[in-house]
Amino acid sequence: MGRILEDVTVLDLTRQFPAALSAAFLGDFGARIIRLDLLPTAPSAPTGRWNHEADLIHRNKLSVAINPSTPRGREVIRSLAAKADVIVTDWQRDELAAMALDYAAASAARADIIHARLSGFGPEGPDQDLPAIDELAAARTGAMPMLPQPGQPPVYTGAGAMHAMGQLAFGIVTALLHRLQTGEGQQVDVSLFGANMYGSALDLQAFLAIGHGDRLLNPISRLDVSNPMSGSVYMSADGRWVTLTMPDTDRWWPAFSGILGIPQDDARFDTHEKRTAVNRLALIGELEERFRREPADHWRRQFQEKQLSADIIERFDFPANDPGVYANRYIIDLEHPSFGKVKSLGFPVWVSDSPARLERLAPCVGQHTDQVLHELLGLSRQSIHELADAGVLS
Amino acid sequence: MSKALEGVRVIDLTVWFQGPVSAQYLADFGADVIKVERPQGGDQGRGVRSIKSLEVGDWNQYFLVINRNKKSMAIDLKKPEGQEILYRLVEKSDVFLSNLAPEMLAGWNLTYEKLSAINPKLVYATNTGYGKFSKVTKPSFDMTVQALTGVMARLGEPGQPPIYLGMGSGDAYGGIMSALGIVLALYECRRTGKGQSLDASLYGAQLYLAAPQLQAYLAGNESSALQHSRREVENPLWNLYPTSGKWIYICEPNEDGRFAALRRALGEPAALAVPAFATAAQRRTNNEALIATIEAQTLKQGHETLMAALRAAGVVASPVNNFADVVRDAQAWQNQYFMKAYCEEVQREVDIRGLPVRLSKTPGEVRSLGPQLGQDTEILMMDLLGYEWEQIEALKAKGAIP
Repeated sequence: MGRILEDVTVLDLTRQFPAALSAAFLGDFGARIIRLDLLPTAPSAPTGRWNHEADLIHRNKLSVAINPSTPRGREVIRSLAAKADVIVTDWQRDELAAMALDYAAASAARADIIHARLSGFGPEGPDQDLPAIDELAAARTGAMPMLPQPGQPPVYTGAGAMHAMGQLAFGIVTALLHRLQTGEGQQVDVSLFGANMYGSALDLQAFLAIGHGDRLLNPISRLDVSNPMSGSVYMSADGRWVTLTMPDTDRWWPAFSGILGIPQDDARFDTHEKRTAVNRLALIGELEERFRREPADHWRRQFQEKQLSADIIERFDFPANDPGVYANRYIIDLEHPSFGKVKSLGFPVWVSDSPARLERLAPCVGQHTDQVLHELLGLSRQSIHELADAGVLS
Repeated sequence: MSKALEGVRVIDLTVWFQGPVSAQYLADFGADVIKVERPQGGDQGRGVRSIKSLEVGDWNQYFLVINRNKKSMAIDLKKPEGQEILYRLVEKSDVFLSNLAPEMLAGWNLTYEKLSAINPKLVYATNTGYGKFSKVTKPSFDMTVQALTGVMARLGEPGQPPIYLGMGSGDAYGGIMSALGIVLALYECRRTGKGQSLDASLYGAQLYLAAPQLQAYLAGNESSALQHSRREVENPLWNLYPTSGKWIYICEPNEDGRFAALRRALGEPAALAVPAFATAAQRRTNNEALIATIEAQTLKQGHETLMAALRAAGVVASPVNNFADVVRDAQAWQNQYFMKAYCEEVQREVDIRGLPVRLSKTPGEVRSLGPQLGQDTEILMMDLLGYEWEQIEALKAKGAIP
């Protein structure tokens, strides 16, 4: 079993979920991720509960704890950066510059470094230094007002931050490929603003192209969807929701009308045009009434039997108990040293010969300081002890 | 300027959205992406003529934007002669990508086993619906798979219907995850000379998309699966508020200094200067009352006035824009998140979604919008695959190519 990124060392200067998870993703595929924890760390009382977030976004990482307020501490941090192939960060630019960890300084120390940053709003323009907060980016990106039902508050989904996570990792590996070919390093920038636009890709592109349209600016009632058989939701008898995606209604109508007890040749609905335009609202009304006659499980069986593109809208208990999810390692069972058997999010991409793997849970702060300074910087045990005694490390 | 994925050739046997987006990321960075389509009608995405009952306009932005920078070959892969053409292409390619059903690929003799025997360095990437090791066999579309993940059911106010994250939202995420898997496998191939197969499914990607809340649920926090009201969030300083115009999103930690700044922005109303809201702990305990009190203030003014006051007080906040606002947002254009591109179909420049990933020395680019069906079939067969014109005529006669 190979480790795809085994020759790559990443310095992780991240604070927030998405960029931290990008670094962990590279670690899942074998990169050596060195997370820098700055001393002194804020004291946190033990909760007695599993820190499930840390064991996701910091898994497969080593932790080095250094105090940047000392000159020797800053020197050690710069030496680490000079040994790294990749820096991943979500720090603000002035913070990076203050520690000589911006691209100019880092590439002066190591010309072929890949310097990857998650920003709020991109590296150009008047808002380049606004904070990297996903809610701000999402609010500005335009999709929030159209997601709910009419009259309801806008909806924040968090999908933009996760798009940024994937795009940042993609940018890094693409830059690594280029470096392998040419020896050239570079900067990578992905922003929450740009990523949120990709999260709402089709609607936004439609508005860009069309330039108008209430149906792209305001919520559409579920009882006014453009196609009663696609993108729609209906409540079933037990209060659970059904959703349909059958855009080409001609293909699906014979089987679909059958499970609902609507005659296939009902003259109101016997063409695509009638179903989606002329008698659209009548069909929505009919479906609304008929789906309420049976519970969700009944509909699921019908959808499965007739191979319809439709399903039940589930809660997290569904994937948590879905054997297919474990077979694919989208969720994994693991033995936690303190909390025993737990379930944790696994790996979204399956690779045959060099699969993602969980080698270690989140490190304690400074757990690997000695090891990394010795192995990577060649510091002797003696000098590491001296630095620790001087309060530079822990 | 050089291109990061120069020299990488990709066979893009994909339709609709997720697969084409995956290959779009590669094409933007200079990979030579050859879209292979059925001769009759090609990718079904070519047929999209309306979105939400709105005509898409005189150019098909659904298809042309995600298939930009690509070439197109029309090949009938149901015919053995068509499969032979594809095999020749496999010899010359680094990546094979498809989001067609695995049974369909098997029926056309395009399995990993078959193609890797032709080219052992091949990266063979699929986008299944529910994962390579799932036993589920039924059609998978973005929304029906998103429904299963639990991500829809937790959104919206309590009692409201579940919320879909937006058209193509899950496909777009599956697309970036697929592209990420492909560049990882290419990296390994460049180092070791070995290809392999990979799968990025819609289901797997969208479960990962739910990471923050799903991980909390797995750790025993059952409420993270449920809808939560904005009237009950734990920190009233990080919340959505209505104004007489647009909604605004205030994003501040629950700290005394930040609360003081918010009070300043709201004109120091007496209702907020009460002991019940004096400390962080009290603001957390009395969150519902505080949210209602702040809302009573924000509703008194329009979003522009309020945003000016918030900015003056140093409070981090944004109006909740709509698409009409964002398409005019200079920040988006300056960072090339939106771009102009020439559209052959209508012979003018059009506005498109641009480049969300920026590489400083090897930037992505948009050289052309999506290709016409089969526009490169003959030239690629001659120049790349070494067919003689007589052979091409013979394959046309057999219907392997149009």
